[in-house]
Amino acid sequence: MRMKKRRRNAVMVPVASMGDIAFLLIIFFMLCSNFAKEAGLQIKPARAFDLDALQESNISVSIDETGDIYLQGILMEDVEVVEWGIKALLEGRTEDLEKVVMFKCDREIDKSIYEPVLSAISEAGGIIAAIGEEAGTRDN
Amino acid sequence: MAFIRRRAKADDVPVSSFSDIAFLLIIFFILVTSLEQFAGFKAALPAGEQSTQEAEEEMPTVKMHDGRITMNEDTVTIEQLHERLKAMNLAERETDEERIVIIEATGRVEYQVYFEVMAAISHAGGVIAIIKEGD
Repeated sequence: MRMKKRRRNAVMVPVASMGDIAFLLIIFFMLCSNFAKEAGLQIKPARAFDLDALQESNISVSIDETGDIYLQGILMEDVEVVEWGIKALLEGRTEDLEKVVMFKCDREIDKSIYEPVLSAISEAGGIIAAIGEEAGTRDN
Repeated sequence: MAFIRRRAKADDVPVSSFSDIAFLLIIFFILVTSLEQFAGFKAALPAGEQSTQEAEEEMPTVKMHDGRITMNEDTVTIEQLHERLKAMNLAERETDEERIVIIEATGRVEYQVYFEVMAAISHAGGVIAIIKEGD
């Protein structure tokens, strides 16, 4: 017996609105994103109990595991440059919320490195938001 | 003279690659966006202020020396420091001056210890004042 071959209809996926959806997603990401300035830095965060959830600030100072100091992800020569940089960034900011400087430091760094940086931030008029890790959340 | 009206051809803007470009942009934003949740504490350190010896003596002082923590000359663990600061009811005091807790680090003090002490003071509602070595 001869079988009849049925021709299948080609299924069309409607893709006309894909571009619109993609642009809506882009707008969402543009509005919600904060760029990761210190993505490449090697920092083991300090741990403590009873930490608060903090909002991300525009200004950040970091000290990595080698003791290098970074302002906005850029390597700084010394503490004085950090102070001038923060002063410049804080210029014209009047609200306390705008003066918050996020401070991240590797937990093994000695006080001879981080203490002058903390003083420089406060001398420049910044409010320090010390970033760490809730104790017990990770084992390493 | 009769003019011939030319019908303008409808030129289609090529939009077929728009969605590809848009998805590339989405990938870029996903990669560079920081979705980190930050945990920590805020500390407004009194900047550039000099206090008198008598005023310092009245204020609670936390000293760190080579990883050892002392509060008002008694050696304490971080848990004991939490309890002692809590017992002081710093958050209920009216002025910032009354809430000041002095911290002093001498010798080798890793940031981990310093951070824990600052977090404890901040959690208890204290205002941190740093005394630098040699002041």
